[in-house]
Amino acid sequence: MQQKEKPPWWKTDFGPPYFKDLMHPVLKKNYGKWAYHEVIRPGVIKRVAESGDTVYVVRFGTPRLISIYTVRDLCDIADKYCDGYLRWTSRHNVEFILTDESKIDDLIKEVEEKTGFPCGGTWDATSGKYGLSNIIHTQGWVHCHTPAIDASGIVKAVMDELYEYFVEMKLPALCRISLACCANMCGAVHASDISIVGIHRTPPLVDDDAVRRMCELPTTAASCPNAAIKVKAKEKTLEVDGEKCMFCGNCYTMCPGMPLFDPENDGAAILCAGKVSDARHPPELSKVVVPWLPNEPPRWPSVVEAVKKIFLAWANNAKKHERMVEFIERIGWERFFDLAGLEFSWHLIDDFRVPPFMYASYRVGTQFRW
Amino acid sequence: MSETPLLDQIPDGPWPSFVKEIRKTAELQEKAIAEGKEVKMPGCAKALLKQLERSYKDKKTHWKHGGIVSVVGYGGGVIGRYSDLGEELPEVHHFHTIRVNQPAGWFYTTKALRQFMDVWEKWGSGLLNMHGSTGDFVLLGTRSEYLQPMFEEMMQMDPPFDIGGSGSDLRTPSACMGPALCEFACYDTLQLCYDLTMEYQNELHRPMWPYKFKFKLSGCPNDCVAAKARSDFAIIGTWKDDIQIDRDAVKEYAKFMDIQKEVVDLCPTKCMTWDENRKSLEIDNRNCVRCMHCINKMPKALKPGKVRGATICIGAKAPCVEGAIIGWVAIPFIPADKLFERIKEIVEPLWEWWDDEGKFRERIGEFLWRKGMGQFLRVIGEKADVRMIKHPRTNPFMYFEKKELRPSKIVEELEKRGMRFKSLDREEEEI
Amino acid sequence: MAEITYTEEEKQKVLEKLDQKTWKIKDLAKILRMNKKVVQKIVMDLIDEGKATYWSSGSTTYYATPRYVEEYEKKRAEG
Ligand code: HEM
Ligand code: HEM
Ligand code: SF4
Ligand code: SF4
Ligand code: SF4
Ligand code: SF4
Repeated sequence: MQQKEKPPWWKTDFGPPYFKDLMHPVLKKNYGKWAYHEVIRPGVIKRVAESGDTVYVVRFGTPRLISIYTVRDLCDIADKYCDGYLRWTSRHNVEFILTDESKIDDLIKEVEEKTGFPCGGTWDATSGKYGLSNIIHTQGWVHCHTPAIDASGIVKAVMDELYEYFVEMKLPALCRISLACCANMCGAVHASDISIVGIHRTPPLVDDDAVRRMCELPTTAASCPNAAIKVKAKEKTLEVDGEKCMFCGNCYTMCPGMPLFDPENDGAAILCAGKVSDARHPPELSKVVVPWLPNEPPRWPSVVEAVKKIFLAWANNAKKHERMVEFIERIGWERFFDLAGLEFSWHLIDDFRVPPFMYASYRVGTQFRW
Repeated sequence: MSETPLLDQIPDGPWPSFVKEIRKTAELQEKAIAEGKEVKMPGCAKALLKQLERSYKDKKTHWKHGGIVSVVGYGGGVIGRYSDLGEELPEVHHFHTIRVNQPAGWFYTTKALRQFMDVWEKWGSGLLNMHGSTGDFVLLGTRSEYLQPMFEEMMQMDPPFDIGGSGSDLRTPSACMGPALCEFACYDTLQLCYDLTMEYQNELHRPMWPYKFKFKLSGCPNDCVAAKARSDFAIIGTWKDDIQIDRDAVKEYAKFMDIQKEVVDLCPTKCMTWDENRKSLEIDNRNCVRCMHCINKMPKALKPGKVRGATICIGAKAPCVEGAIIGWVAIPFIPADKLFERIKEIVEPLWEWWDDEGKFRERIGEFLWRKGMGQFLRVIGEKADVRMIKHPRTNPFMYFEKKELRPSKIVEELEKRGMRFKSLDREEEEI
Repeated sequence: MAEITYTEEEKQKVLEKLDQKTWKIKDLAKILRMNKKVVQKIVMDLIDEGKATYWSSGSTTYYATPRYVEEYEKKRAEG
């Protein structure tokens, strides 16, 4: 890298644009002075400020991976209806902020026509009517090197199946579905009502030749969180202890000679009953309820079916405002496995090496439901 | 016959399709070229589809990892990516990711976005993620030699956009929209997110720690950015005094809502009572745990109190290495107007300690488990508070510092023999 | 805080190591028996001078010389 003379506009460490410079004037004016909100129909939230100013936030689901040309279409719509402002949410949805209630229908029609993005994904605690939001997800086969499953394809297949719950509000409580394509969990999906997680099931198949050509042996061995990799100094290669490996792919990230892909054995685990909000019940981690399902591109019928079983067992039986974890705590895990038609197997009893975690999930006492 | 028979089945069904987005990019980029626009990565959207079709057929990824990092002066923000089908599909052989630091709360003007789309049409694949799960605006797919010119165009935009974090650095902080749109915000999430991002530009752009570190900010315990699960350092708005009640508004809600059943009965501490005859709601605020349920139910009638601030939860992370963690309470309450200052006082010594003594790839949560909460509290200058735990420990194997022991002959003798007692103070680093 | 200083000889030692593989500062300090802060300062200065650079796996970051990284990357790109 040469130290060239820098042009006058050159700068580094200037940070993101200041958010207020990108915010609709009505939001700036009423910043910190909002009075209340109402969900007036699926996808449309009316927000009223203390000053009496009112905005209508209209939410649309997106596939997360989008085209610059779609962003331009969304910009055209925002210019036409929203004075040139729009925002995205933490769950890959796009929101338009209208000041004129009479334009809602036209806006929705135009977004749906131009982009195919559906209006919805909202919930209304007041009336106790909840919609399903978008699935938080990661890269998968579209752009990552360690995935055990695809991301976008599974999300598409699951959301096609649960579409009606996105565009209507007919669930008893919030339900957050997330997907991560490997155990690194870039989406950090470990506290969701339902999560789909890609898992490998076989240790790396060491490619001695590639290891010799491309890898730094000690660094690769050190990258293993479980100390499962031994350096074979004489042979100038690496060896994996199959009893210690937990199939995380960290070594592969360091060294291309450690591939751990097995198309027949990679697949998805399904977890449920986690949450992050503190409403009523404190936050909790999700639990594995289906140990493994195969990759079945392009529509992943087994994964879709399992997610749907879990989802419906909850949606059809939970009380108003009862999230997955609250529901299962009330009826008990034994009842939940029955209701969802899931099989309980030894894989679902924790034997990962950290004892306090293991213990925390074992039941003490003799309180059962039969 | 179609070149992508498996992907052709994806657009079926009502949910928006990513395959359609890639196809649209392929088509319109060709059109742009025909119109004479400069496009440096022609044909890559189509090549991406072909590669993806292969993945769908083979049931495995065809991406390899790369390691080139970023642009002049930066150590993070770019993730190298190579295709293992590079010979067949040279258009995507190099297909690196650029993470762009999003504006707090993900607010955009069309002007800012259009400029961005113009430069990404030129220098990249024309595909992006809005947004990555850390919050960045993620540009998918460009070649090493285009990284620098792309960034230089980003510098010159109005407003300019900077690069986000990756690797062992401070990751791009993100925040809920808080005061911009939400009546529940107990502190200014967006301003604090911006201030932290600006204060720690060096930590964000020049990785130097054992591993990554994430800040996420939610304005109230609803935690709309899932900070409690996704960030090493979660800043969650809360309050200390009484919930504010508008009694007339409660009566309005009572006209269509069963307040006893839907609000009072679902309160986790049963600290509310409802008098159906007088239509009056009482809250025993001493017993309220600020869970938000009643406020969510009746936003016109109930509001968080006036003594506002935030709880800091520390240590959340995904399962690698020691298992998934939801952040635990590190500091129960910091007043809203002291947040920036106090967080600075906490994270700076914390980072220094972790950087000195943390193991390779040890997240802060795992590090604190190894070191113990006692030393953590000493380092950040905070007192132990019963709000940090669910219940006190169940074993009696406690440590005591030397100064807590009574002077005795035995202690003297042990010391004479070179015994070192537990100390929460950090040792001076030897050269 | 006192200004961190180092000798040309120390800098040379660090540079030599950086040309052999990708390093974390801590391991580099350990193997050279030098203070971590000094090594860090040297590496940062070398980066400014264009003699050292970052290499990242995506989730963790290392340091090496541009020559080493270029060669390493080429090998990896070719696979
Ligand atoms: C050991 C843990 C992890 C490793 C090794 C890892 C590695 C990676 C890699 C290699 C990518 C690149 C994918 C691409 O080509 O775009 C990536 C993407 C990403 N990771 Fe991670 N990751 C880890 C954990 C996490 C966690 C816990 C989070 C967030 C809470 C996260 C957030 C992201 C984000 C936001 C992206 C960008 C794309 C996306 O959203 O899918 N990562 N990660
Ligand atoms: C004024 C009120 C609120 C505002 C402005 C707000 C805003 C948001 C937004 C924009 C999102 C992302 C939505 C999406 O794309 O799906 C979100 C997510 C979320 N919100 Fe809220 N919200 C509010 C009230 C609530 C309430 C009442 C609850 C709970 C009862 C809640 C809990 C959550 C949760 C759990 C998430 C998902 C976090 C995740 O898992 O990623 N929010 N909120
Ligand atoms: S979850 Fe795993 S496979 Fe998916 S993007 Fe993250 S690191 Fe890649
Ligand atoms: S896959 Fe993970 S656990 Fe297995 S050897 Fe590689 S780094 Fe270790
Ligand atoms: S976390 Fe709380 S303050 Fe922030 S948007 Fe959600 S409900 Fe509002
Ligand atoms: S915030 Fe939660 S704990 Fe407090 S009164 Fe309301 S429902 Fe009860």
